[in-house]
Amino acid sequence: MHPVAWFIWIGAAALVPLVTRDPLYLVIDFAITCVVVDAIRTQPFTEAAPVFAAPLRFAAFAVLVGALFNGLISHVGETILLRLPDAIPLIGGPLTAESLVYGAINGLILATLFSAFAVLTLAVPVRDLIAYLPRAFYPIAVVSAIAATFVPSSVRQFQQVREAQAIRGHRMRGLRDWLPLFMPVLIGGLERALQLAEAMTARGFAGGNGQPESQGPAVRRGSGTVAQIVLVLGLGSVLVGGVLRLLPGGARWFGLDLSLPLLVLGTAATLWVVWRAGSHVHHTRYRRSTWTGVESACAVLSVVAVLPILILTLRGEAGYNPYPRLALPGFDPLLGLPLLGLLAPIWGLQARRNGTHSAEGADGIGVTTGEGRRL
Amino acid sequence: MITGDRLGFRYPEAPQLVLSEVSFAVAAGDFVIVAGPSGAGKSTLLRSLNGLVPHFTGGTISGRVIVDGLEPVVVGPQRMCRHVGFVFQDPESQFVMDRVEDEIAFALENAALAPGEMRVRVAEVLDLLDLTALRERSLSTLSGGEKQRVSIAAALALRPRVLVLDEPTSQLDPESAEDVLAAVARLNAERGLTIVLAEHRLERVLAFANRMIYVPGGGHPAMVGTPRDVVGAIDLAPPVSKLGKALGWSPLPITTEEGRAFIRERAFQSAVAAARIGTAPVPYLTAQSLDVAYAPRGNGGTRVVSDVSLSLAKGEVTVLVGRNGAGKSTLLKSLVGLVKPQRGQIRLGGRDITAAPVAEICRDVAYLPQDPNALLFADTVMEELQITLRNHGIAPSEAPVPAAALLAELGLADKAGAYPRDLSVGERQRVALAAMMVTRPGVVLLDEPTRGLDYEAKGRLAGLIRQWRDAGLAILLVTHDVELAATVADRVLMMAGGKIEAQGDPHDVLTSATGFAPQIAQLFPGSGWLTVAEALQGLCGDGPARTGLGRAGG
Repeated sequence: MHPVAWFIWIGAAALVPLVTRDPLYLVIDFAITCVVVDAIRTQPFTEAAPVFAAPLRFAAFAVLVGALFNGLISHVGETILLRLPDAIPLIGGPLTAESLVYGAINGLILATLFSAFAVLTLAVPVRDLIAYLPRAFYPIAVVSAIAATFVPSSVRQFQQVREAQAIRGHRMRGLRDWLPLFMPVLIGGLERALQLAEAMTARGFAGGNGQPESQGPAVRRGSGTVAQIVLVLGLGSVLVGGVLRLLPGGARWFGLDLSLPLLVLGTAATLWVVWRAGSHVHHTRYRRSTWTGVESACAVLSVVAVLPILILTLRGEAGYNPYPRLALPGFDPLLGLPLLGLLAPIWGLQARRNGTHSAEGADGIGVTTGEGRRL
Repeated sequence: MITGDRLGFRYPEAPQLVLSEVSFAVAAGDFVIVAGPSGAGKSTLLRSLNGLVPHFTGGTISGRVIVDGLEPVVVGPQRMCRHVGFVFQDPESQFVMDRVEDEIAFALENAALAPGEMRVRVAEVLDLLDLTALRERSLSTLSGGEKQRVSIAAALALRPRVLVLDEPTSQLDPESAEDVLAAVARLNAERGLTIVLAEHRLERVLAFANRMIYVPGGGHPAMVGTPRDVVGAIDLAPPVSKLGKALGWSPLPITTEEGRAFIRERAFQSAVAAARIGTAPVPYLTAQSLDVAYAPRGNGGTRVVSDVSLSLAKGEVTVLVGRNGAGKSTLLKSLVGLVKPQRGQIRLGGRDITAAPVAEICRDVAYLPQDPNALLFADTVMEELQITLRNHGIAPSEAPVPAAALLAELGLADKAGAYPRDLSVGERQRVALAAMMVTRPGVVLLDEPTRGLDYEAKGRLAGLIRQWRDAGLAILLVTHDVELAATVADRVLMMAGGKIEAQGDPHDVLTSATGFAPQIAQLFPGSGWLTVAEALQGLCGDGPARTGLGRAGG
């Protein structure tokens, strides 16, 4: 599926734990992300390594630790389970069911967010994530791509060096014995970096300033300094705005809250500089993902699924708070059932996979490059 | 297409010129070989064609180069890439992306081509180099030859009219090298692409070329002409040309096909090799039914070496040949204990060393790995030797062989104080050998020692191997270089798929598989000759063609 469709889905799935603390909605959301993670991992052609392979195990850990931590630290609540000796600093005092539940919900929120982002790392390869960086960051994109190939080759080289030193009778006895391993790897790494830089230069890479031949040098002096000033001002106002918002009651001049305008203006200025810098960068992208009806449907379903819960929490009606006395969380099917719409990617993955095969015959080049991974 | 007018170049802070007064002219559609010893300036000459010299390297350039109507010195490498595609020696170190298509598109992205146009170009070069089936593959899963073809495709994506290749096959086995060179020759013949190719092993490439530039280095003037003229005038020639020169064949043959024309007219006497004289060799290092498997993720692993038995005798050179991935390197590693075998036994001088620690084995078994750079890290050559001694707990005064004498033996007497990484490829390799040989081992294992060596360095290596053999060392040489194998081997083992498929007399084994026969064996099938010296002796009839003693170099 198209990365943007995934971004929208992840945004929706991650929104639920951010807006509500009702454990029932959280559990539904968490279960859905787990099912989607599983669906991606059973896909053929998935390259991403299952680094975050175990959202369930993580969830168990987060809920347990969250509950224990909050239970021991916070002594608020009316249902007292047991009383720890007051002599123990910090954790001494009553252990309440309310604080345990509150902490467990914290853990569940964390686990749900974690699992939603696990989908991101599994479904969208780093390469494609990089493609959504602004153009001004093209050198960063290239550097990341290089790192992806450079790191494994360094590991191979380390192995070679280790063997080469071993056959000279080298043994690891102390810190000093790391030098024979470290030096050849370092020197070899620098040599390879130089070779790579040379190879990139020979293929027209100019650190993000490559220009089409017809245009000639397009560097406009002066515009650079303006951009720098705007960038400093922009980032500065974001910072000041952020700090102002943290101050109790907000800082007001003549009765006006300046923090929000500062944040908005600063962000806009910064984005403008990035966009402007990007317009100087002349390069294009080979890899394009295609957006089809499947993506549209998934995106719409994802948004619709979380809309009710969003509206109600904004009106303050879908919250849950165990304090001061534990009660069952409320569950409104009108909020909970739409969440199942978040299962859309499972259908989407299937639809795209079937679609690719038929489309490939029609337009081999365009479609296969666009959907190389068939996600 | 390309003209060089009194080209000279000096690297920054270098005392002398690398190139001086080199003039040449290359027409569109030419296939040019650039030859010469290491460090003579071949790479510099190639890099001046796309502006990497002097833009990337720095330094001072004199004279003029014009390529496709442009001056690379003025235009710079970023813009020259539309006119000159450049392929480097090591395919691994020139990849930017991790997949075939993305790698090819990299230059196109930099040139800001429209996405539609990019797809057309990528499809075009994929087709041109027979890579269409591999387009979605990850680069790390490709063979060496396939990787180098991807590099060529990536260099051609911008449709340059000149393709420059800097020793593109030096890291490849014979089969992959053939694969790459055939692709280059086809681009030249079918597309009229101008090719400029630097290469050490002339026997591989002379058949394709119509021009040759020989850069002798050391301030001597460069030689430019047809391959036949240039090869006729220099010492570094493939065996068939050497033989032709010695026998006065004219016009001088530069390929085995051309050489055969002379032989058909002669009724040459088939002289089967004389029996080896001397006593039967006494095994020193023996391996019995070895099984070696790697288990990278603990799930069984794949068996790389299976049921291999071999014995190395003192005073004998055993050569091990085989394609990449046949298990040769793994076998060597298991002999020194770097990889422990799952089954079998290794004995050294009657002692079981199967489970002995590496450090202990390596006192008596020297092993030169493929990349000697992995070994070197000290500030001076002498220090490298002392570090090995210290590792083994031997005081420099008690060294079995004086360090100075060892360096002299290896032709490094004046390099004792030099920084190892500043030396040439051949010298660095001999420093690595010195660091291994300082404990005076009884066995020497060499893993593809001829990579990147020029004819002179290769000749020195062959000399050393013979010298050690005569001094009573047991030597195992793994190589892709069949001409070197022909000059030093007493016995040849051929490995395939982890097993030893054939072993015995060098001639029998080397001529039994295609791709491994030396040029002389191809010229005189059935004669038992492998080297120029043997052929000359056989043809001129002075004495037995082969003896166990001191076989002359080819």
